[in-house]
Amino acid sequence: MEVFFQALVNGILRSGLYVLTSVGLALSVGVLKIVNFAHGEFLMLGAYLGVFLFVFFGVDPLLSLPLAAAALFALGAVVYRCTIRHVLGAPEINQMLLTFGISVFIQNMALILWTGDPRAINCAYRSLTLHLGGVNAGMGRFITFAIAFLLIVALYMVLTRTRAGKAMQAVSQSRDGAGLVGIRVQKVYLYTFGLSAALAGMAGVMLSMVLYAQPAVGLEFTLKAFCIVVMAGLGNVGGVIWASLLLGVAESVVGTFVPQGSGWSEGVFFILILAVLVFRSRGVGQWFAQ
Amino acid sequence: MVRPVRPGHVFGVLAAGFLALVPLAVDPYLLHIIILILMSAVMALSWDLLVRTGQLSLAHAGFFGLGAYASALACNLLGASWWVSFLAAGLVGGAAALGLGIITLRLHGMYFAIATLAFAEVLRTVALQAKFTGGAVGVTLPAIFGGNRLAAYYLVAAIFVLCLVVSLGLQKSRWGLAFQAIRARQAVAEVLGIDTVKTKLAAFVISSVFPSLVGAFYIHYVTYIIPYEAFSLNTSVSALVMSVFGGIYSTAGPVIGAVVLKILEEYLKSAIVYGYTVIYGLILALVILFMPNGLLGVIRRAAGSGRADQILRWVGGRKRAGASD
Repeated sequence: MEVFFQALVNGILRSGLYVLTSVGLALSVGVLKIVNFAHGEFLMLGAYLGVFLFVFFGVDPLLSLPLAAAALFALGAVVYRCTIRHVLGAPEINQMLLTFGISVFIQNMALILWTGDPRAINCAYRSLTLHLGGVNAGMGRFITFAIAFLLIVALYMVLTRTRAGKAMQAVSQSRDGAGLVGIRVQKVYLYTFGLSAALAGMAGVMLSMVLYAQPAVGLEFTLKAFCIVVMAGLGNVGGVIWASLLLGVAESVVGTFVPQGSGWSEGVFFILILAVLVFRSRGVGQWFAQ
Repeated sequence: MVRPVRPGHVFGVLAAGFLALVPLAVDPYLLHIIILILMSAVMALSWDLLVRTGQLSLAHAGFFGLGAYASALACNLLGASWWVSFLAAGLVGGAAALGLGIITLRLHGMYFAIATLAFAEVLRTVALQAKFTGGAVGVTLPAIFGGNRLAAYYLVAAIFVLCLVVSLGLQKSRWGLAFQAIRARQAVAEVLGIDTVKTKLAAFVISSVFPSLVGAFYIHYVTYIIPYEAFSLNTSVSALVMSVFGGIYSTAGPVIGAVVLKILEEYLKSAIVYGYTVIYGLILALVILFMPNGLLGVIRRAAGSGRADQILRWVGGRKRAGASD
């Protein structure tokens, strides 16, 4: 039983990263109506940024978070301005091919520049462990989960209480309607995409704190985030949290109880994606619909 | 039925002659490169067959790997001869496409793309973890035709010609029109009486048999394969980029794209060992932004309505009507 609770806690803690990544993807899908295959690559860049800031300047990962957010917001804005904006009216297949091309480009650029070796942030509290009534939790994972929680609350506040957030909601509901009431749709698109990249970047910093940064890590997170967004139902930011928890716990349980589990858990996860896609994507709801 | 000789027929005869005779005139290294180019051309062209219905598949690597493993295991475990193993690869690939297509082809654009990507990744996990596949070590085979490169060339050339004929045939038939209608607007295609799911399913199966055959050829030619290579995302990426670069929805486009990019890749591989795929990403993004109809689109525009255009129209299929895509 103790083993089960341990797996449960591990899964819950693991889901923190998933929430952050998926919410970013959900925003760009919801507002821009574009699937960004390069979303995971933004996370990967954030992870490397965290590693380099720590290794070269000794910056604590918690301090790197705002830096990574700012850097990735800027990068996201540039990517939007130079590429995404020009295909908003193009067929969906062109949009997918474009973001897929960007993803392949960034991933292989990282491979050339930084090689395929995994790098991690070995900060002081990475190796600490919390003991809570027979269940252990890595300090790094615990911090990650707590920060993800705070960021999601903050994001919720921004979306519901600020003019910018309400503008995003309006654009996601009706692009033309929002334009008619005087919202500058292009500007909303720009900062939504930037915000989406920033969230991924912060998730990346925390990834290199609990696991490691590696060029190929982005693809895995793109797929997982997409799976979570679809599982939640396009249109349900709250659902992203539950879907992330479900995925995190499922992975953790499979990894713990199935023999040779860590190898198979990947496959289980992809089968989960297939199942989710087939069963959940039939009725695509409105974004932010209550 | 006797038809007048058209420029396209002349072009076809010349191309066939070239394919038949060129291996006799080149050195072994160049022959190897031509074999690689033909494999890429089949991958790109078969990927295009499905895209004509408006579906973006990222499973091409999956079918390539599936074909490679199916033929290798048929030889090693069942003692099949090479042509039986090719048949097995095609059958397994086609059956897998049928199964995957039945559950995923009702999905729209991005869902289908992600589902196919997940499919390829599942296959890699299975190849890595299962007992009968040899795990991470992969599988090995003796070289086909005792390592006779010329014979191997004619085999891959035959697969290429088969793919070419299928592609041209589809374009000229009612199927080509059905593909085009589905791509332009699925609802309209349905109203016109096209069974869209069945049509897309047929396109997916045909489009997936060819990468399986190429995979079978690859393992017989290279003699070994490991899971990470067999199901590498790069395989899907290069097929798709070659197609998009040359010009999708055509027969000539993917072939031209494969020839140009494979040569470029061979050159780059010696310069950048890891991550030469970076060029594919760059080309893909730039082509979508600046020449969404690919090289063929550029040539067509340059040629205007002259004689050259007629030839291209024959090789490239019908000119698209309107700006539906």
